[in-house]
Amino acid sequence: MTRFDDDVRAPGPGEPPAPGEDPGGVEPLRREDIEADPPAPDPSAPSAGAAAVTREPAPAGGEDEFQWHTGRQHDSGKPAIEFIDVHKAFGRNRILRGLNMSLPEGRISMILGPSGTGKSVCIKHMVGLLYPDEGDVLVHGESVPSMADDDLFEMRKKFGVLFQDGALFGSMNLYDNVAFPLRQHTDKGEDEIGDIVNRRLSEVGLGDANDKMPNELSGGMRKRAGFARALVLDPDIVLFDEPDSGLDPVRTALLCELIQEIHDENGGAYVVITHDIASARRVAEHISVLWRGRIVESGPAQALFNSDNPFVRQFLSAEVHGPLGME
Amino acid sequence: MGALLATPRGWVESLGTLVKFFGRVVGEVLGLRVLRFFGEALRQAGILILSSALVIWSLCFIIGLQCGIEGAYFNRSVGSPAYAGVFAAWCDLRELIPYAFAYMMAAKVGTGIVAELGSMRISDEIDALEVMGISSMTFLCATRLLAAWMVLPFVYIAGIGVGFLASYIAVVQQIAEVSAGGFSLIFWMFQNPPDLLYSLIKAMSMATIIVLVGCYYGYNAGGGPVGVGTATAKSMVVNIVLVHLLGMLGTQVFWGANPRAPIGG
Repeated sequence: MTRFDDDVRAPGPGEPPAPGEDPGGVEPLRREDIEADPPAPDPSAPSAGAAAVTREPAPAGGEDEFQWHTGRQHDSGKPAIEFIDVHKAFGRNRILRGLNMSLPEGRISMILGPSGTGKSVCIKHMVGLLYPDEGDVLVHGESVPSMADDDLFEMRKKFGVLFQDGALFGSMNLYDNVAFPLRQHTDKGEDEIGDIVNRRLSEVGLGDANDKMPNELSGGMRKRAGFARALVLDPDIVLFDEPDSGLDPVRTALLCELIQEIHDENGGAYVVITHDIASARRVAEHISVLWRGRIVESGPAQALFNSDNPFVRQFLSAEVHGPLGME
Repeated sequence: MGALLATPRGWVESLGTLVKFFGRVVGEVLGLRVLRFFGEALRQAGILILSSALVIWSLCFIIGLQCGIEGAYFNRSVGSPAYAGVFAAWCDLRELIPYAFAYMMAAKVGTGIVAELGSMRISDEIDALEVMGISSMTFLCATRLLAAWMVLPFVYIAGIGVGFLASYIAVVQQIAEVSAGGFSLIFWMFQNPPDLLYSLIKAMSMATIIVLVGCYYGYNAGGGPVGVGTATAKSMVVNIVLVHLLGMLGTQVFWGANPRAPIGG
């Protein structure tokens, strides 16, 4: 296996020759390096600072549908979350099909991909709302599927999750929604809780909406309120499930700016699920492109935006012509 | 053959899932894990009292009137109007007040639970609870069951009182073929404290099932708003069937072998 500092390229099975220049002037991976790669990652192997390139196992039967999936994962540092050969099906509908993905600590990562490729299913696996049929999901090196219920509930306290529509509790006003995790998980008094809640609500621009019920808020306000609630326990990892869905471009941009500001302030691993390329250009530090239940390519945002993979190039530049069609 | 067996197999599977769910929720209450969310249980108890007690008592009143009227006219037709209290006592305490209570519980509380939990499910609120590290089943289902157990015995006993009052009004005031004292003598002769206890057990079994069925269909709702509507309708059907099964069993167990009537010495 060959290690490069930041950017590694390897032609995938059936991938057409890379056109023109090599972005970033990176040395191409030699054929013997590819053949020397292990076919599947070892779950027991230490993951921090893992080798620069891991490759997904070649699909059985060499079907064409994975021809753009190089599985390249550029080294991005210590992972907060790892997916190891994860398979998940709902009935006969196979969603994740041998997903290997690593999301780095301390950065804003984006999982991008066309609709229906399993992005939201990924989030549910991270927090143990779904379990893989095969494979493993590691959070800070701990296997989520093998956790006992009590450990799982404890582990979830590391997470803040912003659901698509905020998922605010309809029976509580905004203040109580944001205060809820603090009341359940801490021994703080009401005064201290009030300070934290007001600070978080002010951060997201909802300082004067304490008494409003969720049904009195606009879509953007509900998302911001959900963001405030997700942050209230100072989580190590914050997950955003399509934060831009249903928002106009300006509010999407403002929400992205907010995500960036709060990440700069608090740190931690932020994982954003989206198919909005403009959002990715604005905030992503690390990008994983997901399609048909596998990673097409993954790495630092700049490397992905400069990728010569036809699928990645088409998707990230929203072109009509390319491997991705309407099917 | 396989296709023929698929439907009953599906029913058995659903029943197994239902029973497992009931077991988990009841276990959360009996194991006292629900006490972690005692505040929520109290809130649910408050909601039950404020939003459901009055409608339950209203239906009990109407049913009490009905038992009184039926008893009075029947006993008059057989030449024993003074014995209207027998019919009223049995009709109220043993059969129709438990059913009236259960019907209104199913219609008001059970469907309310399905709609509330179902909409929480489809708007990701239940997932939000889970990712906050809170057991949604304990927080949403076990607290509702505990609230029902804390509040409903009193609501039901008050409902019996309302039914009795209505029967008294119908027999003594409206039809007025028996004196107040005569009615009371017979009415109280044909019931005693164990009957009240049995009636309470019958009604609380119904209430428990109604809350659990509501929680099951709401908690497992899917398929958007239409799915929540379908789940609500299904829960009502299941509740009505189970309520009548429990009513029949209760009557058989408590008063089948021994009708507990002061007849023939």
